[in-house]
Amino acid sequence: MKFRGKIVDGACLNHFTRISNMIAKLAKTCTLRISPDKLNFILCDKLANGGVSMWCELEQENFFSEFQMEGFSAENNEIYLELTSENLSRALKTAQNARALKIKLTNKHFPCLTVSVELFSMSSSTRIATHDIPIKVIPRKLWKDLQEPMVPDPDVSIYLPVLKTMKSVVEKMKNISSHLVIEANRDGELNLKIETELVCVTTHFKDLGNPPLASESTSQDRNPEHMAEVHIDIRKLLQFLAGQQVNPTKALCNIVTNKMVHFHLLHEDVSLQYFIPALS
Amino acid sequence: MNENEHDTTLNLKCKLGMKSILPIFRCLNSLERNIEKCKIFTRSDKCKVVIQFFYRHGIKRTHNICFEESQPLQVIFDKNVCTNTLMIQPRLLADAIVLFTSSQEEVTLAVTPLNFCLKSSNEESMDLSNAVYSEMFVGSDDFDFFQIGMNTEITFCFKELKGILTFSEVTHAPISIYFDFPGKPLALSIDDMLVEANFILATLADEPSRASSPQSLCLSQKRKRSDLIKKKAGKNVTGQTLECISRKAAPRRIYPKETLTNISALENCGSPGMKRANGDISEVSESSVSNTEEVPGSRCLRKFSCMFFGAVSSDQQEHFNHPFDSLARASDSEEDMNNGRFSLS
Repeated sequence: MKFRGKIVDGACLNHFTRISNMIAKLAKTCTLRISPDKLNFILCDKLANGGVSMWCELEQENFFSEFQMEGFSAENNEIYLELTSENLSRALKTAQNARALKIKLTNKHFPCLTVSVELFSMSSSTRIATHDIPIKVIPRKLWKDLQEPMVPDPDVSIYLPVLKTMKSVVEKMKNISSHLVIEANRDGELNLKIETELVCVTTHFKDLGNPPLASESTSQDRNPEHMAEVHIDIRKLLQFLAGQQVNPTKALCNIVTNKMVHFHLLHEDVSLQYFIPALS
Repeated sequence: MNENEHDTTLNLKCKLGMKSILPIFRCLNSLERNIEKCKIFTRSDKCKVVIQFFYRHGIKRTHNICFEESQPLQVIFDKNVCTNTLMIQPRLLADAIVLFTSSQEEVTLAVTPLNFCLKSSNEESMDLSNAVYSEMFVGSDDFDFFQIGMNTEITFCFKELKGILTFSEVTHAPISIYFDFPGKPLALSIDDMLVEANFILATLADEPSRASSPQSLCLSQKRKRSDLIKKKAGKNVTGQTLECISRKAAPRRIYPKETLTNISALENCGSPGMKRANGDISEVSESSVSNTEEVPGSRCLRKFSCMFFGAVSSDQQEHFNHPFDSLARASDSEEDMNNGRFSLS
């Protein structure tokens, strides 16, 4: 298995670094899937993650000026690696004003993802920093668990409000309760509710707008003001919101009543999907 | 200078708490704008250092800080005979340092006549399978002075280096680095118009077979995992020479809280011979030895100690020429320790 990529454009590098920072905030350990045209950061819904799963996808040609990979085999031309997300984001942080960034799969004592940063230097000599990030290659038989999650038909699909606002609301709510109810309707209204013995707090967001539905059949029956709700763990929602340092280009929320909430964000050309299951 | 009632100047060696001094000089901007004069003097009758700020309109602010007399330590180390000498603007080195993840205890410096490389210490990264191994090359052009007499790789405490660089960025002078082979101390030196500071760091030695120069009195030690440090807990070091202690055990072990004496703190290899200046004229006004006191549950004991020599008053010009002259062998009997009131920070 081989992989080498090079990023030379400053804007691409910064964007890649931001994505990596976001992943580091969302998942301590994640899977990096390398395929001929895409890179994916994956978190599968194991119990260890609390049932949360994440699927982040980016087109490699939007970032890399050079990209070569050779997967497990010709039929399975993919590479799945497990790494500590923070190691990658820290290594990329050093590439802030770099001339070029190279990433490649290496095997020095143990398998690594080597990030090599070529920095500008005051004098003529270029400065090079190399970081060997230890990784684990995920065997072929486990790949089936790491596929793109199926998105069930949502009961309600709604655009999210400004994430920073949502985050500050949820942060305060976390002090009161550990469960939160997200509910939304097709009339552009989203509510965040917490309820304890002593107090109920609801924050209402209005005029958010709903994306056009894929399947029109079920929607006709329902009253647009009818709320679809799901109970989730507030910390999981907060972790997701805290990971968004930059306002996304597009932010969508799909609710499947009492089953899960699915967030779909677009950061320029990078798509992030985050699934939080309902509390049983 | 310090004066007592009889108007003679005294060489006072004392210690002041950093917590007392820092708040006084905290707001640099307001100090520069509003203060016309600052007077610092001692009142040895009351064991206080008095710092007075004279503002406009006759306003005067006085701070009285208690001091404690101390016998500073001195190091047997002549930086001028080191085969490798580098000089670089601290800013450039600090930029390189930023690349290393903060969890690292040690960093290795590898030099050849052509280049300079900072890298994660091998020992450390092998232990933790999750650790990132980093390398950073700085071209010789970035240095103001680059003289390497011998290819070498030395390992020393990263935290100390970071602290020293932060300190040196305040001065506008380049920082000079003097070193030799692993085991021999590393000196970092800043010489500004007003301040001269020398930091001596211990470095990790290689094999016990490596000959160590008698002058420097450093002890080579095996790279063996052991918990000999435990033996030191609470005990003063007896015996003539610095004991040969192997490197501390693997990071994962949890150590009880120990107050290591200064000598035991220096027992890791490469510590220079120590002597307390018993009233000798020294070029330093204050020194402190950081030791490796750890809280329970910490993964890695800090492996090195370092010596920090403070600023020198310009009156003591003659000491600049022979910085490390007035030294004798290490004295580490219990009696000496008590007299000197070694501080354990």
